[in-house]
Amino acid sequence: MMKKFLKKLFLFALPLMVLSIPLDIMLSNYLKKSNNYNGEMEVMNDIYSGKASCDIAIMGSSRAWVHFNPEIIEKAVNQSVYNFGHDGHNFWLQYMRNLEYNKYNKAPKTIIQSVDVFTIQKRKNLYLYEQFLPYMLWNSNMAKYTSTYEGYDFFDYYIPLVRYCGEKEVLKEAYSYWKGTKNPNDKTRTKGYAGRDKKWNSDLKKATVKKEKYTISIDKPSEELLEKFIIECNKNNIKLILVYTPEYIDGQKFVKDRNKVIDVYKKLSKKYAVPFWDYSSDSISFNKDYFYNANHLNKTGSNLFTTKFAERFKKEITTK
Amino acid sequence: MLFNTISFALFLPLVFLLYWFVTNKSIKAQNILLLVSSYFFYACWDWRFLFLLVFSTLLDYFTGLKMEEAKNQTAKKFWFWLSISINLGFLGVFKYYDFFATSFAEALAQVGVNTSPITLNVILPVGISFYTFHGLSYVIDIYYSKIKAEKNFIDYSVFVSFFPLLVAGPIERATHLLPQIQRERVFDYNKAVDGLKQILWGLFKKVIIADQCAIYANLIFNNSDDYSGSTLFLGAVLFTFQIYGDFSGYSDIALGTARLFGIELLQNFSFPYFSRDIAEFWRRWHISLSTWFRDYLYIPLGGSKGGTWMKVRNTFIIFIVSGFWHGANWTFIAWGFLNAVYFLPLLLSNSNRNNLDIVAKGKNFPSLKEFGMMLTTFTLTVIAWIFFRAENITHALHYITEMTTNIFNYEFYSQSYKMLSKIGFQFLYLLFLFILIEWNGREGKYALENFGVKWYKPVRYSFYYGVILLLFLYGGKEQQFIYFQF
Repeated sequence: MMKKFLKKLFLFALPLMVLSIPLDIMLSNYLKKSNNYNGEMEVMNDIYSGKASCDIAIMGSSRAWVHFNPEIIEKAVNQSVYNFGHDGHNFWLQYMRNLEYNKYNKAPKTIIQSVDVFTIQKRKNLYLYEQFLPYMLWNSNMAKYTSTYEGYDFFDYYIPLVRYCGEKEVLKEAYSYWKGTKNPNDKTRTKGYAGRDKKWNSDLKKATVKKEKYTISIDKPSEELLEKFIIECNKNNIKLILVYTPEYIDGQKFVKDRNKVIDVYKKLSKKYAVPFWDYSSDSISFNKDYFYNANHLNKTGSNLFTTKFAERFKKEITTK
Repeated sequence: MLFNTISFALFLPLVFLLYWFVTNKSIKAQNILLLVSSYFFYACWDWRFLFLLVFSTLLDYFTGLKMEEAKNQTAKKFWFWLSISINLGFLGVFKYYDFFATSFAEALAQVGVNTSPITLNVILPVGISFYTFHGLSYVIDIYYSKIKAEKNFIDYSVFVSFFPLLVAGPIERATHLLPQIQRERVFDYNKAVDGLKQILWGLFKKVIIADQCAIYANLIFNNSDDYSGSTLFLGAVLFTFQIYGDFSGYSDIALGTARLFGIELLQNFSFPYFSRDIAEFWRRWHISLSTWFRDYLYIPLGGSKGGTWMKVRNTFIIFIVSGFWHGANWTFIAWGFLNAVYFLPLLLSNSNRNNLDIVAKGKNFPSLKEFGMMLTTFTLTVIAWIFFRAENITHALHYITEMTTNIFNYEFYSQSYKMLSKIGFQFLYLLFLFILIEWNGREGKYALENFGVKWYKPVRYSFYYGVILLLFLYGGKEQQFIYFQF
């Protein structure tokens, strides 16, 4: 009786088990085509297909993503550039992206690491968690770094299809690429960069209404990881530059303990002889026309900033 | 560990295989395995509360033995009251202390005496009301010499802690469960298949019906000021399905799981929303709790043997206590009270036992009269659930007031259509299908028991795969079961 029960149960479950892997692969492949989720999958696809190989890698958060135009730097220094700016995430996942990059691409000669007040402050939730779905099955780096957030649990990384369970919107997105109603060639990023044609919005005003000052809480593991990264770059002869890109002056005033975070970068810069270029006091930071909110430059602002940066980079780094 | 998680989907087969293949030679070994697994299952929530569970088990086990060994009635009474007071003391501290302290302070404030009550703010141990009631029934049964005290500690512990029923029932009786734990269990193919079907149906109820209804019921209840009457009514109906899907779904999974181990648990639900009056509803809703209160509270109070006044008094007591059992909030008391009010006309007219059989037995459709009765009972239940779900009494009363005002305005109805579109007609079809399957299976122990058994096998299996596909589409980040908080 037991034998019959187990045999029947096995036969019932067999199609589910057998189909789960190809279904997972199929779903993931269609989802990878998505230009949704701020185009993060376009960057991940370039990384995993080896198309992101570059001489100069720009790392950081959304402030890297919308601030550095790789084409301007490429023209100025005649080297290949890719912007790996990761929207909404701090150094913890920026480092993971770097690890994944190194697995499938040639090591860059230079890394421009964009740092800001959020670089070493870790959020609890896994912002835009859907962007990791197609890449996370049996991916140890992703399991190690994304599992520290609220979002996925152990089984999501190791059992096919489990992570797609209940993800109706994600499934719809994959289905639309399968059906051909969405075009995978409608890219939102160019070499990882996306300039924003936006005007100043009310984000800062809303934030100041909510609270008088924003307090940063430094995440020690993130700070240690940044230090580890600097040591690794030095060890592997990768030129590293820490850059604090322009930030609108009223936004700077809104953040309490801002100097405490900047001191961390200054300290690391001094300790490991890594340049730290701070654009907080640059004229761009005083002109609202270049921003769409306190932390993000618009397209005009980013082109101006990248031009300024590229000139300095050419002068101080490539000619040395 | 929740039933609707991958962890449980791995835990259950593992225990099942160990139970039937490794420990199958001895009942003692099987029971030890069940106990260890149950403690592991419980510790997955919060291992610290495991000590409380073990203490509660030890307390009732020893007081049970002491009562039996007692040489005189005074000694027996001592051990009985020791157990009762400690058990209720735990419930009082963990579940009700803060409620009484703040209510007392509020009452004093009404007469101008302002106090700041000391509250404990402790986390409620999962399942405390359920396992305490297990222990209480055991001790009371021994005291009244209905059963003998259990000598084997492992067997008794399994009775209290058996993992399928540990956190949300059914509330078992020693007379029903203990003999099953003590005798040899033989694997029964049909029972095991039946168990799997009941688990599948329980998951459907929880993951698809309850959790989907919860999204919109929460939205409406949490923002009730923003919605018009018909939307508020829709919110209450959705909660009515949510709580049924949630709790009866849990019970189905518990019963199905226990059946895989050759153990039959008490039926907890029997299609309550097809009841023709509120008395029938209470014979079909959370049966193990209703019968517990009937046997250990209503009957000792005199039951329906006394005069009309006594019957009315006892009815109100049992309903209010039953409401209060659910949680330390006036809303639960109001819910219990309202059900007593519903029950009263049936009691006074001596018609509370009119509908003992399932509605339209042996027929496909109910008569018009039966349909009207079911609809009326359902509507009364929907109104009562508003108290159960509301944040407080004011919220509940405001909700009901808003639900019943401006019923002749276009706005009253137009907004609910928008809400229905938001919910999605796809889900509404599923809800309708669910009601149909429940109706079709209402003569069985659970809806899927005889569903499709005569179908061509591939069709039946396609149905099961279809349910699994729906679970995949609607599942995901697991939702807690409502009754865990009780």
